[in-house]
Amino acid sequence: MARLIRTEKEVEGRYEDVWIVVEEDALDQWPAGPLTTVGREVPRVDGLDRVQGKIQYTADIQLPGMLHTAVLRSPYARARVTSIDLAAARSARGVRAVLGPGELDVLAEQPGYVGQAVAAVAAETFGQAQAGLQALAPEWEVLEPLLDPDDAVRRESFVSDPKTYERGDFERGVAEADVVVEAEYRTQVVLHNSLETHQAICHWEDDGLTVYISTQYIWGVRDAIADRFGLAPDRVRVVCQAMGGGFGAKNGPGDYTAIAAELAKRTGRPVKCALTRREENIAAGNRNATIQRLTAAAKSDGTLVALGGEFVNAIGFSGWSASTEGPMKMLYACDNVRTVQYPAKLNLPPMAAFRAPGFVEGTFALECLLDELAAKLDIDPLELRRRNYASSDRVDDRPFSSKNLEECYRRAEPHWAKRDEVRARSDGPWQHGIGLASQIWYGGGGPPSYAWIRVGADGRVQVVTAMQDIGTGSRTAMAQIAAEELGVPVEHVQVSLGDSARGPFASISAGSSTIPSMGPAVRSAAADAKRQLLELAAQRFHLEERVLEIKEGQIVSSDGGSWPLTEITGLLEDGQILGKGSRGPNPAGMQVLTFGVQVAEVAVDTETGEVRVEKIVAIHDVGRVINKLGASSQVEGGIIQGVGHTLSEERIVDPETGSILNRTLDSYKVPTIADVPEIVTDLIDVPDEHLTNLGSKGLGEPPIIPTAAAIANAIRDATGADVRSLPISREEMLRALREAGKRERRGAPAAV
Amino acid sequence: MELLRPSSAAEAAAALGNGSVALAGGTEVVPLMRDGLLRVETLVDVAAAVPRGVEGTRIGAATRLAELEIDPQIPQALREACSLAASPQLRSMGTVGGNLLQATRCWYWRLGFDCWLHGGERCLAKDGAHREHAIFGNELCASAHPSDVAAALLALGATVRTTQRELPLSELYRLPTADDRRTTTLAPDELILELEAPAPDASTYLKAMDRRKWAFPLVGVAAARTGSGIRIALAGVAPIPWTLETPAALDDATPLPGTAYKVEIARALARRAVEHVNSQPSS
Repeated sequence: MARLIRTEKEVEGRYEDVWIVVEEDALDQWPAGPLTTVGREVPRVDGLDRVQGKIQYTADIQLPGMLHTAVLRSPYARARVTSIDLAAARSARGVRAVLGPGELDVLAEQPGYVGQAVAAVAAETFGQAQAGLQALAPEWEVLEPLLDPDDAVRRESFVSDPKTYERGDFERGVAEADVVVEAEYRTQVVLHNSLETHQAICHWEDDGLTVYISTQYIWGVRDAIADRFGLAPDRVRVVCQAMGGGFGAKNGPGDYTAIAAELAKRTGRPVKCALTRREENIAAGNRNATIQRLTAAAKSDGTLVALGGEFVNAIGFSGWSASTEGPMKMLYACDNVRTVQYPAKLNLPPMAAFRAPGFVEGTFALECLLDELAAKLDIDPLELRRRNYASSDRVDDRPFSSKNLEECYRRAEPHWAKRDEVRARSDGPWQHGIGLASQIWYGGGGPPSYAWIRVGADGRVQVVTAMQDIGTGSRTAMAQIAAEELGVPVEHVQVSLGDSARGPFASISAGSSTIPSMGPAVRSAAADAKRQLLELAAQRFHLEERVLEIKEGQIVSSDGGSWPLTEITGLLEDGQILGKGSRGPNPAGMQVLTFGVQVAEVAVDTETGEVRVEKIVAIHDVGRVINKLGASSQVEGGIIQGVGHTLSEERIVDPETGSILNRTLDSYKVPTIADVPEIVTDLIDVPDEHLTNLGSKGLGEPPIIPTAAAIANAIRDATGADVRSLPISREEMLRALREAGKRERRGAPAAV
Repeated sequence: MELLRPSSAAEAAAALGNGSVALAGGTEVVPLMRDGLLRVETLVDVAAAVPRGVEGTRIGAATRLAELEIDPQIPQALREACSLAASPQLRSMGTVGGNLLQATRCWYWRLGFDCWLHGGERCLAKDGAHREHAIFGNELCASAHPSDVAAALLALGATVRTTQRELPLSELYRLPTADDRRTTTLAPDELILELEAPAPDASTYLKAMDRRKWAFPLVGVAAARTGSGIRIALAGVAPIPWTLETPAALDDATPLPGTAYKVEIARALARRAVEHVNSQPSS
C-alpha cells in the first residue's frame, strides 16, 4: 500500500525535508552471505559488447541531418563582451544558427570565469561551427578577477551563507585538554576527466523533444529541460544507454544541453553539443580547492575533548558548498565540536559534485590531524581511533542503522601490524612506512524508485526501469537481484534502462545511491512476478503456493517435485507475467552511513621527493555486496582516482589572470597504470538489517575518501615529514622533508 | 595547404623555408598546427629524404625512439632516455631528429599567451605559475626544454650532420636573445640528417617526473663516462638542453621561487648518475 510520509532526503551530504509517497517494503531480507548469484563474482552482462565497441555512447550517436555546435567560451576570468559580430558568424559557410550573449541564460554577457559560455554556433560540420566562432570576433572589456579564497572570505564574496556548527563547548574542551594540535591543510582543484566529455544531442519531433545525453540522471534532465521550454515533462524524452564516466559532474543538463535544445528548436534539425577535451577541463566542473585550519584537543589517554576548524571552500563562480567539515562532525565521539564553513565565490570555473564531495577533502585533513595528534600523545594511530569510536550518530543523536567500523579495524590489524617489517625495508634514501585512515560517508539511497518485471512464455525475464548505468555495472547488479529472487540463471535476465519513456522513475546515479535505491525496487518487482508464477504453478500442479519455490529455473515443491519453469510460462503463449516493485522507506529515526578503513604502504625517495604507493588495503562496510567483482572494480577505481588526487593531479591557474594553464591530458597528470599500487579489497558484506529488503548500501564513493590521508600518514610514518598540502608533488614532499629536518636539528623529536 | 613528399635530402631541403615545414613523425608538428602555434603553408614529408636506422655510432635522424630504445648498439643513456619519453604510441611515431627540435611545454607558450618567447614584452611564467620551469638560462625566458633524448645525446658528445654542415649537438641550440628568440641555430631550409653518438665506457639517464610514466621531465640527468672524463647534461632545466660542467655547477643555478626544488632533485640525480657510470667497468 502506498503511504505518504514526511522524511529527510540526502544526496551527497545535503539534506532536504520532503513529503514522499512510499510503498511498503514487506519482503524479508535474504540470509547473509553469498547466495546463488547475489554476492558472487559476476562478469558484466554487457562486458563483451563494450570491449567489442558495440555499445553506443552518446558520443557515437549520429542522427540524420544532425548539426554540430561550437561554443565561444570566455578567455577572461571576468570580462564584459563589448562587441560581437553575430551577423558575420551567421553568414559563415555551413552555419545554420547562432546564439549570442544573453540570448540564453547560459550564455553570459559578463562572464565570471575562464570557460564560461558566451555564444554558440551550429553548423553542418564541427569544423564549420568552429570557423563560425572565429567570425564572431568578440571584443572584451577585461575586469579585475577575484582569485584568492582568503581574500574572498575577507570581502564576504560567498556563493551561499557561511555555516556554523557547534555541539558542546569547544573552548572548554580545549582548556581541559592535555594535548592540543593545530594545523592548516590545503587541497587542490582536481578534474573529473570523464573519458566521454559532457555532451547532448537534442531533437524536436512533433511537439516534443528527445535528448540523448551522457548523464547520471535522466529524470533530472527531463524535468529541467521541460521546465526550460514550458513543456509537460512527458513531452521530453531523455536517453542514456551507456556512459563514459560522470563522477558527479553529470548530474544535471549543463549549458551544452540548453544550447543544443535551443539551436535544435531554431533550426528544426537535430543538434549535437559536445565539449572538446579542453573545454571539458575548464568548463565541466571540478572538485573545489579547500583551506582547512584545524584543531584537535585530547586528554593524555587519547580521549578527544575538542575538534574544531575553519573550512574555506574555494567554490569558483558557482556551484554548491560541500560538507568539508562533515567528517569532523561525524567520524568520532567527541563532545565538543565547532566548525565554520566559508563558501568562497571566485572568478574561477565552478565546482561540480565529484565522488564524495567535501568528505574526500575533509577526511584528508582530519585523518592527518589525528595522526599528528597520535604522534604527540605517543598513542598508536589505530588505537587512538578506537578510543574515540562513535557508537551512535552524534550530529542528530540517533542510532546508526548499522556500523561495522570496529570489524573493519579488526581486519586492518594484520596489515597494520606489518609496520616494523615495512619500515625495515628502508634503504638509503628510500624510506618505507605505513599509514591508515578511516572513512565515513552516506550511501543509503532512498525512495522513490520503481522497477517493472516482465516474464514471457520462454521463461526469460526482463527488468524495465528508467535508471541509468553510469559505467559502474548497475545493469549487471540489477540482473543479479532479479535472477536471485526469481530463481533463474542471470543469463535469462535482460535489463532495459536508460530511457525516460521506457520504464518508471528511477534514482539518480549519484551519492552512492544506485544499488541501495534501485536494488530493493527490482527485488520487490521480481518478488511480485514470482508470487504470480507460483500462483499459476499451484493451480497447474494442484499444490499449495506455500510449498512451492523457484530454484535454478525449476519450480520445486517441498515434497521433492520439480518442473522446469517453462512448463508454467509456456502456458502463457502471448500472455506475460508483470511484476511491479518500488523502493520502500528508509528506517525511521536512524542514520544510514557507510564506513571503512584503508591501510597504505609507501616508499619515499627522500633525496628527490618521489613517492611510490606500494600497496593499499581497502576494508569497507557497505552492507550486503551484490556483485563481488563489480564491487572490487569500484574500490580499485576509487583508489586509483584517489592516488591521482594525492600525488599528481592539480588544475593550475595563472595567478594574475585566472586562466587555466593545464587543459590537456599531457599537462594535467592523472595516474598511469604504472602508478597504481597493489590493491587489496576486503568488504565486510554483512547486510544492514534495518535497511530495505536487501541491506545493501552504495560503494561508488567510499573507496576514494580515505586514500589521501592514508598515503599522507604513511609518508609521515616513513619520513617524519608532515605533508599537509595536496598534491604531494616533488616540491611539497621536499618542502616537508626540509621542515622535518630543521625540526630535528633544533632537537625537537620528529613526529614519527 | 600542400603536402610534398620529396625523395631525396637535397629535394627536401630545396622545398623547405618560406612557410614550408618538415614533417617526420608528426607528434609535435601536428599538435602545434592544430593549436595555431605553427602556421604552415606547405608540409614537407621527409620520410624518404632522411636516413632511418642505426649503423654503429651513426643514427639516422628519422629513426624512431621505439627503435633506438631496443637497439643494442645504442649507448645506455640514449636507450633509457628514449624508453622514458612519452607513451609507446608516441615513441613509435616520434623520430630522434624531430625530438631534438621539439618546443617547450611551457603552458603560457603552448596556450598562445603573448609571452616573451612568442615575441611579447615579458616572460609570464617568472611571476606566474612556473613549477615546471627553468633553473638555468632563465633571465629572459623561464621555459624548460623537454627533450630527454637531447640531454642523453649531449652527454654522449653527439654531433649532428645536416644538409648544410656538421656540428656538435650543443651548437644546435642557442639561448634566445632579445633580438632573436629562436632556441636553435637550424636554418629554415636546413634538415637534420644524421647523428653521430660515440660509444662511451658507461652512460645512464635518470628522470624525475610527476608520475611514473608518460610525463615530460621535471629534471632529467644524463651522464656518460669515457675513460675518466664524465659529461653530464640536463633536460627540463633551461630553455635549451643544458650541459653541466660538473655537479658542483648546480650551485650556480638561478631557480625561480617555484623551481628551487628542481636544483635539489638535479643534485641527487647527478650524484647518482656519476656514481653509476663510475661503477660500470670500462669496455
